[in-house]
Amino acid sequence: MINIKNLSLKVDKLTIFENADINIPKDKITVLVGPNGVGKTTLLKIISGIIKPQTGSIEKNCKELFYLPQRIKYPSGITLQEYIESSFYKQNWKWFLSKEEKQKIDETLELLELTDRKNTLIDNLSSGELQKANIALGLVSNADVFLLDEPTSNMDLINQIKVLDIIKKLTTKGISCLIVLHDINLSASYGDYFIGLTKQNRIICEEKNKFFTPETLNAIFGINFKVINSDEDFHIQIFN
Amino acid sequence: MTKTKKITTIFILLVILLISLYLAMYAGYKDFGYNMLYKAFNLGEDTDSMILTVLRYPRALKAFIAGGCLALAGMFMQSVSKNPLAEPYITGISAGAGLGIVLSILLFNSSNYSIFGFIGALISSALVIIFSGLSRFSITKLILIGLSMNIFVSSLISLIILVNPLKSYMMMLILSGGVTNNEIISNKMLVIVFCLLMIASAIFIPKLNYLRLDSELLETNKNKKYLYTVIVIIIASFLTSLSVFAAGILGFVGIIAPQISRMLLGQDYRWLFIANTLIGGSLILLADYIARTVIYPLQVPLGLVVAFIGAPVFVFFLTRKGDMFRD
Repeated sequence: MINIKNLSLKVDKLTIFENADINIPKDKITVLVGPNGVGKTTLLKIISGIIKPQTGSIEKNCKELFYLPQRIKYPSGITLQEYIESSFYKQNWKWFLSKEEKQKIDETLELLELTDRKNTLIDNLSSGELQKANIALGLVSNADVFLLDEPTSNMDLINQIKVLDIIKKLTTKGISCLIVLHDINLSASYGDYFIGLTKQNRIICEEKNKFFTPETLNAIFGINFKVINSDEDFHIQIFN
Repeated sequence: MTKTKKITTIFILLVILLISLYLAMYAGYKDFGYNMLYKAFNLGEDTDSMILTVLRYPRALKAFIAGGCLALAGMFMQSVSKNPLAEPYITGISAGAGLGIVLSILLFNSSNYSIFGFIGALISSALVIIFSGLSRFSITKLILIGLSMNIFVSSLISLIILVNPLKSYMMMLILSGGVTNNEIISNKMLVIVFCLLMIASAIFIPKLNYLRLDSELLETNKNKKYLYTVIVIIIASFLTSLSVFAAGILGFVGIIAPQISRMLLGQDYRWLFIANTLIGGSLILLADYIARTVIYPLQVPLGLVVAFIGAPVFVFFLTRKGDMFRD
């Protein structure tokens, strides 16, 4: 889906990526894991084209990218539906939306279980609902690659799971997701493919079973982990 | 907010505009009272008709256009910068237009003031954009540079006025703000340019509904975002210069009209476009009515009156509904 080769980026003499090769598979949830400051957000910005790396080629086989930053501001005084409508004015020079466009918004709201909140002011939505509204923005813009930077931060456990369930649902509709997640257990249960960034600029791209080993996790975070992997249980414990 | 509520709000604003228009045209020292309708449709050669056609109508026209233009320019600039301080007066665009006119008064005796005003406004806004875009474009930088531009250009105008006492009266008119006959632009020209600018704004309005999204979300379409920002600033500088031709340099309208309309209607720019024109127009019409009647026969400078009505109204709205630019 997205192939990055030989990526190097230096910011103020600080090396963030050095000859990195990264591959993001299609229709999967790829989780980006690593401690703060190793360049997770930078990688998302490089893929979405906001930051230009010094060297490297990025091959994108997709129609449209949707990048959702970690913290965003919302325009106040408009309803959820109007918020999503904003996206359609990108191409349009019309004052009003067409029937098809309105129908598309309705379908998207239906998919994200937001139909009953349609006419609620954006100021009155919970953070879980706001995050779903942002995902809706990506959906109506026909994006097939979603780059989500900590989509579940500031959320309670139930809302985190709700949002991740929706992201899982997206991958069944031909959308590939690259997300940054800090909760290692949630990552393990939702992710299909993993990219670990270490402080030493090493990049570890692995499938789930090879990624969640005490050695790999130790290389990324620098602390000890215990991976419990039995038939009915898979979880990771911090073991210090 | 429901559609009916929005339509009602616009309707009330329209009524306020009509009342302001009535006050501006038919009330005052020469009060037309109930004869108004008769008089309005039976203009002749008598004194009353002359008062209307020579004094009151052009004055009302200028007041409405100046207010509407300033409010729209403020709305445009605030929408792209997401900063409530972005306004033609503060960012130096008004002063740029003023400088253009002052220079043309200085160098030429009459006519062509308007062309120089446009050029002045465009140059000052272009400078503001270029300076803030030279390294990495940032909207905060744009406002700070605009602020410096305003102070620099205003001081330059003051200096020019100071060293040219013969022509200073005409120049002062532009600086202090007011809708008296200043001969900068003919009324016909004023209406034509105003209509053209309204059409240009109307075409661009839907884009503001896209630009209201978080600026980092728009970042993936960087080129489009910059293009729209530049277009918006060009439209805003044309609107500003037109308002300077009509009523001199007026501050504050560009901040309060967009803020009040936002509080009333939320952030749907299709509605805000109409509301801003109505609120801005009414505000200057009312201010001018008060300016010429409150201590008749003296005329209070328009800018003063705008501040006297504007500030309390603005504070009232702010304390009731809060700042619409909070995070």
